[in-house]
Amino acid sequence: MAHPSQLGFQDAASPVMEELLHFHDHALMIVFLISTLVLYIIVAMVTTKLTNKNILDSQEIEIIWTILPAIILILIALPSLRILYLMDEVNNPHLTVKAIGHQWYWSYEYTDYEELGFDSYMVPTQDLTPGQFRLLETDNRMVVPVESPVRVLVSAEDVLHSWAVPALGVKMDAVPGRLNQTAFLASRPGVFYGQCSEICGANHSFMPIVVEAVPLKHFEDWSSRMLEDA
Amino acid sequence: MSGEDEETAKKGFRLLGILDVHKVPCSREAVLHGAGGAVVAGLLHFLATSRVRRSYDVGFAGFMLTTLGSWFYCRMNNAKTRVQQRIIQDGIKNKILYEGTRLDPANQPKAEAPPGPS
Repeated sequence: MAHPSQLGFQDAASPVMEELLHFHDHALMIVFLISTLVLYIIVAMVTTKLTNKNILDSQEIEIIWTILPAIILILIALPSLRILYLMDEVNNPHLTVKAIGHQWYWSYEYTDYEELGFDSYMVPTQDLTPGQFRLLETDNRMVVPVESPVRVLVSAEDVLHSWAVPALGVKMDAVPGRLNQTAFLASRPGVFYGQCSEICGANHSFMPIVVEAVPLKHFEDWSSRMLEDA
Repeated sequence: MSGEDEETAKKGFRLLGILDVHKVPCSREAVLHGAGGAVVAGLLHFLATSRVRRSYDVGFAGFMLTTLGSWFYCRMNNAKTRVQQRIIQDGIKNKILYEGTRLDPANQPKAEAPPGPS
């Protein structure tokens, strides 16, 4: 999860998020070099003693500052398009989960084998136990097996919501009357937090998402337990 | 443990407020190589021409080119290592998953090698 005053991304928990992090580093280095170049040019222009009021054209520099930005844009666009298509690949998911947004909680349905469904409400601040995170914990987590492709079908019952988990590199709008599909693969076990990412009313900030990736055996035990409790 | 993370976070240094050289892989090496390239290029040009302003410009151009070159070289090596790591991970996972079954790669008949010269 995010730590206080964090500026950068959270550590990646899925291959797609790893690729996004690498692309971000690549784009950031290019931005840094361009900023350095602009800063140098500004300093040089401010401190120069050269003055010439009769320059009418300068073909060479115009060619340079047309071709160079085009090359830079291509250098940024190619990895970007690669990741864009990578994120859209169909990956034969092992599990399908429906995440449905309500005002103001999420409900999850695991209907591949049995009819398992539950609601996921935020744990109020006064009910937190030591070690739990304020405004992020929920009473029931969405549990998925680790290293298994998971398909998430996102929708909403009332108004627009958005299902987002930054560590997994996933964000998908929940639109009433529409079924949006996204997929992820949790590459390591852990607990990954997210928050509703589309304004949806008074408690928009208080309907978090918690995804827990566990080994398959633990996932099977959890789903059996949830079915018994239901 | 959290104390160590806080110390590392405080040590993070952002060039121009943008680039955290401690957290971004290859960035520290690229910037250091770029600085070295700038000094070498600028110095050589000044020794050859004794022109100060132009030597600064050449030094800066050296910084840009050396940083870019070091950056892309390091990133490409990292990407190749990452791909190899994923292939190895998938291989280990498939071996564990399919061991003893008909899909076990160890049980697949190997393609016959072409006969060598007699």
